[in-house]
Formats: sequence, C-alpha cells, structure tokens
Amino acid sequence: MNIRIQNVSVEYQRPILSDIDLDIEAGEFVSIVGQTGCGKSTLLRLILGEQTPTRGRVFVGGKERTQPDPTCGYVPQKYSLFPDRTVLGNVTFGLKGRDARREALRMLRRTGLQEADAGKYPHQLSGGMQQRVAIAQALVMNPPVLLMDEAFSALDPGTRAGMQNLIKELWRESGTTIVFVTHNTREAVYLGTRVIALANRSIAMDVSAATEEELEHVFL
Amino acid sequence: MSLLSIHAQPSRTTTLGLSWLLFAAGIGSYFFVAIARHRDNPDDRVMPTIAQMVQGFKDAAMKPAEEDEENAPHSMLWKDSVATGRRFLISVALLFPAVLIGLHMAMFPYIGAFFLRFFQFFDKIVALSLLPIIFIAFGIDELSKIMLIVIGVAPTIILDTFNLSKSVPRETIVKAFTLGAGDFGIAYRVVFKQIFPRVLNSIRLNLKAVMLFLFAGEMIASTDGLAYRIALLRRHMGMDTIIPYVLWVALLLFLVDLGMNLLNRKLHPWFQET
Repeated sequence: MNIRIQNVSVEYQRPILSDIDLDIEAGEFVSIVGQTGCGKSTLLRLILGEQTPTRGRVFVGGKERTQPDPTCGYVPQKYSLFPDRTVLGNVTFGLKGRDARREALRMLRRTGLQEADAGKYPHQLSGGMQQRVAIAQALVMNPPVLLMDEAFSALDPGTRAGMQNLIKELWRESGTTIVFVTHNTREAVYLGTRVIALANRSIAMDVSAATEEELEHVFL
Repeated sequence: MSLLSIHAQPSRTTTLGLSWLLFAAGIGSYFFVAIARHRDNPDDRVMPTIAQMVQGFKDAAMKPAEEDEENAPHSMLWKDSVATGRRFLISVALLFPAVLIGLHMAMFPYIGAFFLRFFQFFDKIVALSLLPIIFIAFGIDELSKIMLIVIGVAPTIILDTFNLSKSVPRETIVKAFTLGAGDFGIAYRVVFKQIFPRVLNSIRLNLKAVMLFLFAGEMIASTDGLAYRIALLRRHMGMDTIIPYVLWVALLLFLVDLGMNLLNRKLHPWFQET
C-alpha cells in the first residue's frame, strides 16, 4: 500500500515540519533519519493518523488519514505491549476466530520466541524479547504498512543487530511497506532500501542507496 | 557505619525489633501510667487496666446492647459491627461508579470537559461542612450517612481515576487502535484493565476517609454502629469499652485493607508497583 504526503506542514507553537512532499511506494522499506527534534517522529505520527497536519494532507492507500487504524501497524520504542496481558494475550489482542492462538504462536516462533514465553508477562521479558513480541503483535494483523518509531533504540548493540536482521527478513517475506524512524545513520542505511534524511524541518536528502558518510554529511 | 547513614543496612532482627519498638513503648507507657493512676484512685475510669478492658470487650462481645432486650439474639459488638459494616460496604460499592466516571472523563474529551472543573471544585468542599445540608436534604436515616461518604470520597476517587487513566502511555492506546480496537474497547479492555490495580490501591488509601465520614454520620445521627456506641459510651466515661472498640475498628480496617491488597495481587499477577 502506498503512502502519499502532500505539502504537509506542522506547527505546534513553533514550525516542526515545512512543506513535506513525499511518495512512498508499496513494499518499500524507507528509513527516516534525522537528529533529535527534526520532526521524524511527527512525520510518522502523521502517517499513523495520530496527528493531523496544520497544512497539507496524508494518504495511505489513497485514503486520507484521520485516526490510527489497522491499515498501519505500529511499533514504538516502548510502551508497545499491554502490561496486563501475557505474551500470547498481547499477540492475540487484535485477532478474532478459532485460529487466533495458532496464528499468534506461529508469529511468535517466527520472531524468535518460544512457546514457553507465551505465558509470560511483558515485565518478565528482556527489552529485546519485548520488541520481538511487539513486532509479532503488529505483523500478526498483516498490516499493509508497518510504522516503527525508534523501535530498536533502547536495545543493546548485539540485540539490536539481531532485531535488524529479523525485521529485514520479515519485510522480505511479507512485502509490507515499512517506514522506520531512527536517529542512527548506520541503522538507516543498513535497513532502508530508501533513506530520507530530515533536517531543518524539511527533507534534506531522499536517496535509494545512501552511504553512512553521505548521511553524516547532511547533518554536519 | 552511622545510624543515620543512607547506606545503613540493619539486620532483619534489628528491623523487626525497631518496627515493634513504638508499639511496645506506647503500650508499656499506657499501662505504667494506668497502674499508677489506679494505685492513687482504684475507681479511675480515664485509663482502665488491661483486666477492665478485657472485661469490657467480653461484655460487648457476649451481651446484648443496653437498648436491646436481655435475650436479644446478637451481642452489642456484633450488632454495631454489622450496622457499620453494612454502611461501609454500601459506600465502598457506590465508589465504583465514581471509577467509571473518572475513566470516561479521561478517555472522552467531551465528557472530561463537562465534568472535570465541577469535580475539581467539588473535591475542595469539606464534606463535613455539608453535614447540616445533607441531614436537611436526605433526613437523618441511612441515606444521609451514605451520601456523606459518597460526597466526601467520590470526587477524590474520580479525579484519581482520571489522572491514572491519563497516565496510560499514549503509545499503548495508539497501538490498540492499530490492532483494531474501538473507542470503548480501548477504554475498557486497555485502559481500565491497566489502571484497575492502582484504582484499588487508591480506594484502599481512601478507606480511612470513608470510615471518617461514616463515623461522623453515625456519631451525630444513628441508633447503632461502632461510632454510635463510642459516642454513647463517652457520655458514661466507658473507657474500658471505648478503647477496645477503637482497636476493634482499627483491626477491621486493617483486615479489609489486607484483604483488598491480597485480592489485588491475586487478580493482577502482572501488577508491579514500587
């Protein structure tokens, strides 16, 4: 499912994004990179439908975004899981029907978790395992678009590398359009088939294959 | 290491000993003074001895109240405990709609805009100052006592639930939307379930306020109940029964608090509050 961001500006006491015009094709893996406060999370929230632009419009699959819905899966940096539900309860949250449990267990295995983890509560899991559950929870719904906001930022380097490989594999299998927000240029380059760098409230760079050095140059 | 060091690590025995020290000192001081007073005046009624209090409690627990017939089926203590307990339970039950009001205020901006300022104002009104109005409006029977508690405690519970609901991370709510939940589904399946253990704790913390308003109502206008009895016994300087009654009330409240805490932990094994 494609994403269209049409001349979008956001102001909240001060300008946050100015005249952003962007098309993301179905099946792309787009990394949005930028320094803290550059508006990359705001851009993600616009696609999510969680925030409305001051000017301009945002479309996903040709439909204007007004509020979050299952069209876009979402994996934030934290608070993604429901603390009162077990791992299985979290993954089956949005599922209906008899196959919900089986489908959830399949997705948990696919994200590297074991059946024994299904009965645990989020606070009993490590940060990496929690994010695996969050990804399973989002992907089990088969969303056409998956939005990830600094999803691996709180993880240690080893876990982070494992999660990056996992999300790449899952993207190849599912063909989901992924928009991945990060402040880490190396991560942006490694994951994205396309890298968009935000600086000074607008798009400073939009390339299909960028090197880390090129991105660093944008921010210096 | 100094006793007042932040890094001090008292042993388990020391911690246990320290935690009971003030109780022991209080009880010891009381009986020391009580014995001295009774030595000076064997008829002293201000500070009864332990034997007098045991006898007073035994009489309350075994014999019917003075206003009842000699062969009444229940003892004075039972009758008063049941009367107070019934009012207490009805009042606590009536606090649960307050929880729902607070939840809806936090979740739905129009409901929040409608109620918030009103309850913020109402929360500042000292409920006991409304007592005459409540007695005039609702009479002096059961309803007025329960209304006093509800008016006194409900705004606090509403505002507390409101704040707890607002503190649920926005990411969790957005995530639930992306998983297909609707507005009410999020309010009840996500937010309410997450805040409920904390709401129960909030109600636990307000139990003393509930009892305070209940006692005020019972002392002023009642014909039974623990507070009514304490007020009645005060007229006769019946300290040998008043003190056991006060301890009995504290014990009951402690048991209710303990029960709610255990229930909370049983119902919400995931709940970790520091």
